[in-house]
Amino acid sequence: MPTTTTRQVSAPARSRRGLRARSTLAFWLFTGPFLIGLLIFVYVPILWSAWLSFFEARFTVTPSDFVGFENYRTMLTDEDFMGSLVTFTVFAVIIVPTTWALSLALALAVNRLRFMRAFFRSVFFLPTAVSYVAASLIWKMSIFNGVRFGLANTVLGWFGADGTAWLASPDPPWYWLVIVTVRLWLQAGFYMILFLAALQNIPPELYEAAAIDGARPGWQTFRYITLPQLRATSTAVILLLLVAAYQAFDEFFNLLSKTTWGRPPLVELYYKALGENQDYGAGSAGALILTLLICLVTLLQGRIMGFGRAEGSK
Amino acid sequence: MTTGTSRRGRRGNVLGSAGLYAATSVAAFLFLVPFYLIVRNALSTDAEITGEDWQFFPGDIQWGNVTEPFDDPTVDFARSLWNSAVVGVAHTVGTLLVCSLAGYGLARIPYRHANKVFYAVLVTLMVPTAVTFVPSFVLVSSLGWVDSYRGLIIPGLFSGFTCFLFRQYFLGFPRELEEAARVDGLGYWGAYWRVVVPNSLNFFAAIATITFISGWNSFLWPLVIGQDPSAWTVQVALSSYMTNQTVNFHLIFMATAISILPLVCVFLFLQRWLVQGIAQTGIKG
Amino acid sequence: MPDSGNSSWDRRSALRAALGLAAAGGLAACGGNNGRGGGGSGSGTSLVQYFHAYGEAGTEQAIKRYAKAYEDANVSTQWITGSNFESKLFASLLTDKAPDVFEFHPQIQLVKSGQVADLTELIDPVKDDFNPADIQSHTVDGKIYGVRMIDDPQFFFYRKSLFDKAGVGIPRTLDELVAAAAELTTDKVKGIYLGNTLHSIVNPLIWASGAETLDENNEIAYHTDGVVGGFRTLRTLFTSGDLLLDAPTDFWDPSALNQGLTAIQWCGMWAMPQMQQALGDDLGIFPFPKVTDAGRQTVYNGGWSMFVNAKGKNVEAAKEYVKWLWIDRKEYQEDWALSYGFHIPPRTSLAESADKLKSGLPAEGVRLFNEFGHFDNIGWTQAMITALEDVLANCVRKGGDPEAELGKADGKVNRELDKLFG
Repeated sequence: MPTTTTRQVSAPARSRRGLRARSTLAFWLFTGPFLIGLLIFVYVPILWSAWLSFFEARFTVTPSDFVGFENYRTMLTDEDFMGSLVTFTVFAVIIVPTTWALSLALALAVNRLRFMRAFFRSVFFLPTAVSYVAASLIWKMSIFNGVRFGLANTVLGWFGADGTAWLASPDPPWYWLVIVTVRLWLQAGFYMILFLAALQNIPPELYEAAAIDGARPGWQTFRYITLPQLRATSTAVILLLLVAAYQAFDEFFNLLSKTTWGRPPLVELYYKALGENQDYGAGSAGALILTLLICLVTLLQGRIMGFGRAEGSK
Repeated sequence: MTTGTSRRGRRGNVLGSAGLYAATSVAAFLFLVPFYLIVRNALSTDAEITGEDWQFFPGDIQWGNVTEPFDDPTVDFARSLWNSAVVGVAHTVGTLLVCSLAGYGLARIPYRHANKVFYAVLVTLMVPTAVTFVPSFVLVSSLGWVDSYRGLIIPGLFSGFTCFLFRQYFLGFPRELEEAARVDGLGYWGAYWRVVVPNSLNFFAAIATITFISGWNSFLWPLVIGQDPSAWTVQVALSSYMTNQTVNFHLIFMATAISILPLVCVFLFLQRWLVQGIAQTGIKG
Repeated sequence: MPDSGNSSWDRRSALRAALGLAAAGGLAACGGNNGRGGGGSGSGTSLVQYFHAYGEAGTEQAIKRYAKAYEDANVSTQWITGSNFESKLFASLLTDKAPDVFEFHPQIQLVKSGQVADLTELIDPVKDDFNPADIQSHTVDGKIYGVRMIDDPQFFFYRKSLFDKAGVGIPRTLDELVAAAAELTTDKVKGIYLGNTLHSIVNPLIWASGAETLDENNEIAYHTDGVVGGFRTLRTLFTSGDLLLDAPTDFWDPSALNQGLTAIQWCGMWAMPQMQQALGDDLGIFPFPKVTDAGRQTVYNGGWSMFVNAKGKNVEAAKEYVKWLWIDRKEYQEDWALSYGFHIPPRTSLAESADKLKSGLPAEGVRLFNEFGHFDNIGWTQAMITALEDVLANCVRKGGDPEAELGKADGKVNRELDKLFG
């Protein structure tokens, strides 16, 4: 690698054309390794998947039985698959605003603390270090289990309430409480850090100016200064939360074993195609439908909230 | 934080900040409960954990439980920790190197089709890993990378998301610094290593933290790649305790505690840079 | 593997892959793979076998001990924990790192897709010594595709002392079972445990209603009024508060009964030694009771079988190994079935000579197995199993109408039957 450096240094090009050729070379030098890897480990599997989706591919990934759009028709008319999109929507509608609000509240609180700020910040951030596997285990075995030594039922017992089976029955849908709390706990700290960073970027002069104009600290400055200044971060956070919610798999898979409800798309696909059923044709078709969908939603959100376009228009 | 706070002056401030501390403490308490449960269960006997009455603390702290995961003949827990460490570090270093270079190229080196290349990277963010999971596995397996560090590490290096973050960050990197370097006769490559990277260490540390966590915590991929127990990562080892036919509570929770500990340490050490680093990112829209 | 090697490696081998060339074999193994001998050692063939992780202590060591004693090939074992077993097995079967030999249940789609090898010639000489049902459940068009290693009857285990205290007898009908559960429930102990998903009682419910999964023409036989009624009764049990739900361990683990969380538990004979150790004589068993008057008491004869991967590299060597271990070496078969948990050996000669199964509760288990046992139907595939599990989830846990849910399942099962039997 060092040889390239010296060559570039020792050959200063004069003409515009030479400059452009050199920068093109540099562009590929910088991006090349990444793009080659992306091609092999991301694009080849995606295309392979796309190819599979047009075949009857059971117990094989090198099928020969071409079926056209049959797999797509199967998936689009499949009640469970369409239902999983509803589940995802419900999940997103709950988890995105609550994570957004909780992480913003934590950031505002931590930002205002004068003592022990590092302590509190660490406490809220620490769960980020825990894996979904480990967290699901704690939630399922120790907090929300249905027996006498579960923490939630023990606490309820102190108030005289009967123990509840949190995950067994979809009615009332207590399982959402379990799912949502585990994800909140795991991810709120990370988004809090994003908000904290953004809060520190707000120029203090804005608050001083507002104070001179007679704005009261608290709700008014929050509403008219802090929130607008956090707009860009909020947009990014919401986008990241949406993508994360859509990719949700681990906690649903580990907490809700083999239910017919509460299955977001990836779990549904797992049971349909990748688990014991091994129907890669239909599975790939479903996966590609989802990919198209998320592209659409992201584009739409980008249009509405102006994310990702900003620097293009500058 | 009611609208009347400022009128009441100092006293209101004291009250307000007492309230703030109280609320924050309650939240912190709730956030710590799961950690408490891990430690309590890890140091109790199974009879105490499953007993009729809730016990807040083990009657006798079972320090002997600490070594138990390491004595288990069926799961080489120490080896899995080591594997996770190797994979986590190599994954982090590799990702930072590959993705930061690409991010810089996309952000700063003029090229006619740079935007098209950028969109090709962005699209991969939308594709859920489940879509590519089985083809990826077959591909990696045909390279002969099953049961090897190579198979655990390399396919995960090319993260569109990390590349995207680096690009956003470099877009906001002050041009003047680079231009000074260019005047000194450095090309893109020299300017990158001598000026850009040394001035971006906060951001690199932030991304390193996030990358290390995801490397340490990833599960499904190591599960299929690590066929032989000697190639298991700690998450795979952990799941093997969970799904064993006979559940041993204190062992599971002790193993969990041990698997979390290294990350907690890394975190406490790195989080200062994390906030600063992210404050400098391009996550600004 | 030294880390420093990575960065230069990845580009070169990446390029190689891009050109469509497989990496040379020698590159494969650098992340320590102790388990695999092979390579240069003189003994020649290497075989890989997949097992799911049995819960009983000593089983893993036992399987590895048998493999080591085999001289004609180097056999390495993958011991895969419970819920990961299927995903890992099926992902591997797609690649050239596939196991040569694996354990699973007989399912016809494995045969139809050419995944498992025909083992008729291995089994034929000793066919008469096998439990006929174990032969039949592995046979398609006259060919036998797997060797049964163990039969695992599943039935109800109960605490005699709690039955005496509550003054209940052994339930003969599903209604009596529900009533008994109500009597047995206290504020610390639930009456009955059927597993967290309840899935393990789907087939017993069908049989106990006097129905079958499929009839001999491979057509739907589970959709009867008796089964519909059975699902309704289960729903009342589910909502009664007498059923243990969300236990930390599933039905296959004896913990729920051993820890005193429940008075009755659906479990397998494999857990009997652990239960006896924890509860002593305070333990009894009974079959799944009749659902309707036309029904019958039922025991589910599950188990595990050995298959040879027909697409593997060493099919003949793998067959030889299976013959050696599961046909010829009776001492290993006996050790495997009886030294850890309790399983019934499928070989009649072994089952009859096994002392451990001759008296007490194990003998009672064998009696239930012989008298009330039902075996898997090889035509009843994973997609159909899932369809019926969904029926149970939807009408027992969710409260849907069994008639309508079974109708929905009929659609899925028929689609599968069409694919398999045309």
